[in-house]
Amino acid sequence: MASHNTMKCGDFRTTYEKDSTIFPTPFSRKMVLASIAFLLIMPIFADSYVLNLSIQIGYYAVAALGLNILVGFTGQISLGHAAFFGFGAFASAWINNSTGIPVFFSIPLAGLLTMAVGLMFGVPAGRIKGLYLAIATLASQYILEDFFGRAGWFTGGPYGAMANPVSIFGFAFDSDQSFFYIVLFWLVLSFVLGANLMRSRDGRALVAVRDHYLSAEIMGINLTKYRIMSFGISSFFAGIGGALFGHYLGFISAEGFNILLSIQFLAMIIIGGLGSVMGSLMGVIFMVLLPEVMEFAAGGLRDVFPSLAHSMTYLKQMSIGIAIILFLIFEPDGLAHRWRMTKAYWKLYPFSY
Amino acid sequence: MNKKLVGLCSTIALTSVLSMGALAEGIPVLHISAFSGPTSDVGQPYGMGVADVLKYTNQNGGINGNMLDFESVDYGYNAPQAVALYKKAMSRNQLVALQGWGTADTEALVGFVAKDKVFTMSASFSAHLTDPKGTSERTKSPAPYNFFYGPSYSDGCRGLVAFAADDWKKRGEAGTPKFVHMGMNHPYPNAPKESCAAYAEELGFEILNPIEYSLSPGDFKAQCLSLKDGGAQYAYLGNTGGSNISLIKACSTVGVKTQFLANVWGWDMNAFAATGEAGDGVVFVNSTASWNDAAATAGFTKLSAISKMTATDDDYRSVHYIRGVCAASNMVDAMKVAQMKGELTGTTLKDAMETFVNHVPAGLEGVCRPSTWTADDHRGMTEVLVYQTRWNGGKPSMSRVYEANLPRRADWLGW
Repeated sequence: MASHNTMKCGDFRTTYEKDSTIFPTPFSRKMVLASIAFLLIMPIFADSYVLNLSIQIGYYAVAALGLNILVGFTGQISLGHAAFFGFGAFASAWINNSTGIPVFFSIPLAGLLTMAVGLMFGVPAGRIKGLYLAIATLASQYILEDFFGRAGWFTGGPYGAMANPVSIFGFAFDSDQSFFYIVLFWLVLSFVLGANLMRSRDGRALVAVRDHYLSAEIMGINLTKYRIMSFGISSFFAGIGGALFGHYLGFISAEGFNILLSIQFLAMIIIGGLGSVMGSLMGVIFMVLLPEVMEFAAGGLRDVFPSLAHSMTYLKQMSIGIAIILFLIFEPDGLAHRWRMTKAYWKLYPFSY
Repeated sequence: MNKKLVGLCSTIALTSVLSMGALAEGIPVLHISAFSGPTSDVGQPYGMGVADVLKYTNQNGGINGNMLDFESVDYGYNAPQAVALYKKAMSRNQLVALQGWGTADTEALVGFVAKDKVFTMSASFSAHLTDPKGTSERTKSPAPYNFFYGPSYSDGCRGLVAFAADDWKKRGEAGTPKFVHMGMNHPYPNAPKESCAAYAEELGFEILNPIEYSLSPGDFKAQCLSLKDGGAQYAYLGNTGGSNISLIKACSTVGVKTQFLANVWGWDMNAFAATGEAGDGVVFVNSTASWNDAAATAGFTKLSAISKMTATDDDYRSVHYIRGVCAASNMVDAMKVAQMKGELTGTTLKDAMETFVNHVPAGLEGVCRPSTWTADDHRGMTEVLVYQTRWNGGKPSMSRVYEANLPRRADWLGW
C-alpha cells in the first residue's frame, strides 16, 4: 500500500491512524519536504525583495493561522487580532530589553504572554456568541490600542519601542537572508503544531464546538473551556507572528496595529479558506502578493499611458478591492478549496467523473 | 471574453517587461508617498511636491548632468508595504536616497536605512529623528541618515506656545493662562505632548489635563464641553485636518472661545474653507511661505515651473505641497554638492547635507526658509512660522502673525 503514489478511488482507510494522517499520499509528503528544502536554500539566490516578501508572508501566516483556529475551526470571531499581534511585538521587545533574555527565547515567551492576555479577553466568549462576541472582541482591540499609547514602560508610548535583531550565542540574524530562517523555523513549527492540533482530542472538540455547540455540550465537551482555550491558542500564534514582525523591523510603533489590520487578517483567512491550515498560508500569500502584482502592472501601464500616472494609484487600490470581491463570489470556500479541486482534477485526468 | 482577458493580461505583462528593460542609468532614488490610505489628505500634496521637484530636476539638467533614476510609489500608509518597496528598490540597485512620507514608513525604515547607508528625507517631524549620534539620553537609538525639512513636532508646538505667551501679554489680562494638549492617544499627536507642556510650564502657563479626540472626524461636542469647563485659553490640536475641522465646528456650536493652535498637518486653507467662520483666528505651524505670499518673492518663478510639472496653470497649491518642494529641493542641492566633491552615495549625500548652514534651496529664495544641519544636530529649523486664518466677513485669508526663534537648546535635542 505504502508504495502507492496516488490515492485509490474509493476510501480504503481502515484504521483511525490512517484516517487522521497529515499527508494523504507519500507524494504529498515528499512535496512538502521538497518545498521546505527549496525554502532552505532560497536565501542563497533570492534577492532581498523576494526574501522580504517571504518574511512578510511568514510572520503574517503564523498570526493568520492563529485566527483561523479561532474563526475557522472553533467558529468564534475576533475583531481584535491585530491588537494581539501588536502585543506580541511589544512584549518580545520588552522582555528582551528589560531582562536581557536573548531575542530567540523572548519570542516564544512573548507568545505565552500574549496567550495570557488572549485568555483574559476570551472570557466573554464563554458567555456570548455571534455578533455580540464580535463587538466584545472589538473592545479588546480598542483597549489594547489605548494601552499601547499609554503604557510607556512597556511600549515606549508615543516614541515606540526598539526591538533588537534576533541573536543567539553572539550570532545576530540581522540580514534578510538570516532572518528568513528564523521566520521559516517558526512558520514550519506553527503549521506542524496547527495541523497536529486538529488531529488531537482538543482539536476535534474545537470543531465540534463550531459545528453544533449544543450537541458538543451534550457529548461532554466543556464549551466555556474550549472557547476560551481557542482564544488563547489564537493569541499565542498572533503573539509569535507579532514578535517576528517587531524584531524584523527593529522598531515597533503602536499605530500599525489598528482595526484595519484586524480586518485584513480576517480577509486573509476567508480568502485562504476557513477551517483549513493550508488555507491560512494561501490567503496570506494572496493578500501580500496582490498589491505587489498590482503595483507591477500599474508600473507597466504607467509607462505606456503617462497621462494616467496619477490615477494609477487609485486604479491599483480599486483593482485590489475588485480582485477580493471577485474572489469571494467565485471561490467562497477559499483558495484551499480551489487547490483541492485542482488536485482532484489532475488525479482523475482525463477521466473525471 | 476569455480571449479579451488573455489579451489584457498579456498586454500588462508585456508592458511591464518592456518598462523593466527601459530602466535608465542614473542616480537611484526611491520616493514613497501616501496617495491613498488614512493620511492621503496631506500625503498627496506633499508627495506631489516631492515628485514634481524630481521631475523638474531631470528636465533641467539633472544633478550636474546625471539624471535621477527615480520612482514614485504609493504605499497606502502601510508600514510593511513601505519596507517591501524599499527592499525591492534596494535589490535592484543600491539606493542613494529615499524620499519618504509619514510616521509609519519613516519609523519602519529608520533601522534599515542606517544599516544600508541610504540618505532619507521624510515628512515625519518626530523629534527623536533629529539626534544623529544619540547624544541625548532620551534618544533610544540614533537616526543618522534621517532628515526632514521644517521644525520638529515638538519645536512646532513650542513655537505655538511662544506665540501664545506673546498673545497673552498683548491681551494684558490678569491671571495665569491655561494651556491644554488635545489629540488622539496615538504616536503622532502624542509626539510633542510632554516636551511642549514642559516648555509651556516654563513660560508660566498652567497645564490642564490633555483632552482626547479621535483622529477620524466625528462629533466632538463632549470634548468641546470639557474644553469649555476647563477654561483653557490656548489649546494645541495634535490631529490632522479632517479631525480638527469637526472639532472646531463642534466647539463653535458649543460656544468655546479658546485660541486653537494647530500642528503642521492640522490646518490649512482647505480646512478653513470647510469650517467657514468657525475657523476664524486659528493659528498653525508652517515652514514655508504660503502660495500667495510666495507669489511676491524671487523664488516664485521656480516654484511655479515646478508646479507646472503636474498643473497646467498657476493653480493654488497648499502649504503641504510647498513643503514637499522645499524638502526635495534641499536634497537636490545637497546631491549637487556631494557630486562636485566626488562620488555620490548615501553617505556623501548625508555629509553634504550636514554642511548646510542657513541654506535656502537654489532658486527658491523667499519660498523656502533657511535650514541648518550639522553632524551632531539634525534639527534643520528651529524657527517656527505661525500663520493665522482670518474670515474677514466672507473673504477668507491666511497670513503670518508670529515668528518664533527657538534656541537650539541641548536638552531639547531629540525631545
